[in-house]
Amino acid sequence: MKANTLRKHIDLHGWLGMLAGLALFVAFFAGALNMFHEELHHWQEPYVAESDGGEGDLQALLDQVLAVTPEAAKLMYLVPGDDPVALWQDADQEWQFDHASDFNAAGERVKKPRSELAEFINELHYKLALPVVGLYLMGIISVLYGAALIGGLVIHWPKLKKEFFALRHQGNLRRYWKNLHNLVGVISFPFHAIFAITGAAMGCFALLALVAGTLVFGPQLQGAITDATEAWPTPRASGESAAMAGVEAYVAAARAELPDLRVDWIELQQYGDRNAVVDVAGSVPGWIAHHAHVVLAGDDARTLTVTSPGNRPFNHAALSPVYSLHFGDYGGLLVRSLYFVLGLLGCLLFFSGNVMWAERRTDRQGPSRSAIIMLRVTLGVTFGVMAGLAVSCLANKVVSHSPWAGAVAWSEKGAFLAVLLLTLLLALRAAPLAMCRWGLRGCIALYLLVPLVQGGLEGFASWREPHIHLVNTALWAVAASLAAVEWLRVRRLRRAGPHPLWVPAPPAPASEAELASS
Amino acid sequence: MRALLGTVLGLPLALMLCGLLAAILPVDWRQWLVLYLLLSVVLWSALITLAALPASHWRTAVWLVAANGAAWIVLQTTGLYGAAP
Repeated sequence: MKANTLRKHIDLHGWLGMLAGLALFVAFFAGALNMFHEELHHWQEPYVAESDGGEGDLQALLDQVLAVTPEAAKLMYLVPGDDPVALWQDADQEWQFDHASDFNAAGERVKKPRSELAEFINELHYKLALPVVGLYLMGIISVLYGAALIGGLVIHWPKLKKEFFALRHQGNLRRYWKNLHNLVGVISFPFHAIFAITGAAMGCFALLALVAGTLVFGPQLQGAITDATEAWPTPRASGESAAMAGVEAYVAAARAELPDLRVDWIELQQYGDRNAVVDVAGSVPGWIAHHAHVVLAGDDARTLTVTSPGNRPFNHAALSPVYSLHFGDYGGLLVRSLYFVLGLLGCLLFFSGNVMWAERRTDRQGPSRSAIIMLRVTLGVTFGVMAGLAVSCLANKVVSHSPWAGAVAWSEKGAFLAVLLLTLLLALRAAPLAMCRWGLRGCIALYLLVPLVQGGLEGFASWREPHIHLVNTALWAVAASLAAVEWLRVRRLRRAGPHPLWVPAPPAPASEAELASS
Repeated sequence: MRALLGTVLGLPLALMLCGLLAAILPVDWRQWLVLYLLLSVVLWSALITLAALPASHWRTAVWLVAANGAAWIVLQTTGLYGAAP
């Protein structure tokens, strides 16, 4: 490849990485924690020692929701668990949810304030917690990320083997960041390629459908998308009411079709109507594309269609791995832990990429305002997000066990935002090297502290509960990862001085006399 | 700037080029619509990378506009838009 072309690819890779890097850092860090989303849902609630961990009664929940909210019969999802959840659309098509524990013995809805920590982390992951535009923004960011990956592949392909063993300490600090960036990028390239494609497909789906419908396929595309993505067409209410078979019958009918099915949710449409349709959706273990749907008639639970691995249209077979490869939910705890580690390594990749961009700009053009601002913003956002999420977890536990438990959801989000803004302000003022040192050490301390505070407030016996144990282990793993980065940073600084960008320039001599004396 | 041009003008071009592939292949596009969308995303990213290669912003813009126009014209010769299943 010509040197000029290679230089253009390097420039593009740097610029795209810089543009998308911070958003991707937030998405990857939140995404790494989100690998334990279900466990976080348990962790965020005050620990109850006497919980038997058994499945809650879905039929009772369904009956209670319909008794107080008949319009929920149009479209509702039931999610099983020890405290099952019903999600339904109200008259304004807004999604609402009820837990089984939201109803008292008389069947009245008694809503109690709940933590939204797991959902907040999820929203940070897929839309940076930004309303309306967040999802589309992350879709575009994913496309840019894909372009940066293609550029990275073009740059590194010829020297791939050499760079695999290139984490050396000679030279200046920038060389070290570059080697680290290359090593992490090469190791985790397939993982990043999966995320770039599936993330872009999910985030830009509406945009792709709009442009393809306008330019390529015309109005027929909408119907084709519905056929390609839905297990069964949306039924219309007939207006005739009918007796329903019930949740137990639906699950039994689904298991008769697919004996290995693990039920993840049950979708009910026009429940109570003669045309009611029930989709028992879940997973068949042992497949990457593990999603399965058994669609049943609501009245007598007769099977309408079954889509499962090896028995579904090509579109469904292509769509299933888009989700499973993105969410890493196809191989149990081992694969989720691998995704967690690769997610944290991704954070290191984006951080080191931004640092390299700033240092490279300084090397080429001398000290520049844009480079130092980029470095400071990178430090502020990365440490702000990490510290913010740890403080959010702390706020969850402290506020849940205080007289202000009703404000727990606000406190989680407020704590995150306050810490993020404060850290960003601090990064814009403090010396970058000091910010890096204290930022890392502060985050390590916070992630070590969260499980201790949880155990202190809820009893250390709670650590034996598998979900709490897993989340606490993940938080300590984040602390351990940051400690490893701190160890590398200290060792590197001991062996060679930092890049000039990291150290504030000494003040210029004030007068000619001072110049002469110096 | 070139990456921005590639992002904005690369999207319709990627979808139209994949549409042309759909018109050429003997399989009904409805049967592989999800794959079509995934292919378009990959091609869109590749076009952003390619958009950085011309020497100036103007060349990138001209190439992308011309390619979009050509793809749209060729697409009109196919029966893809609004075709009955």
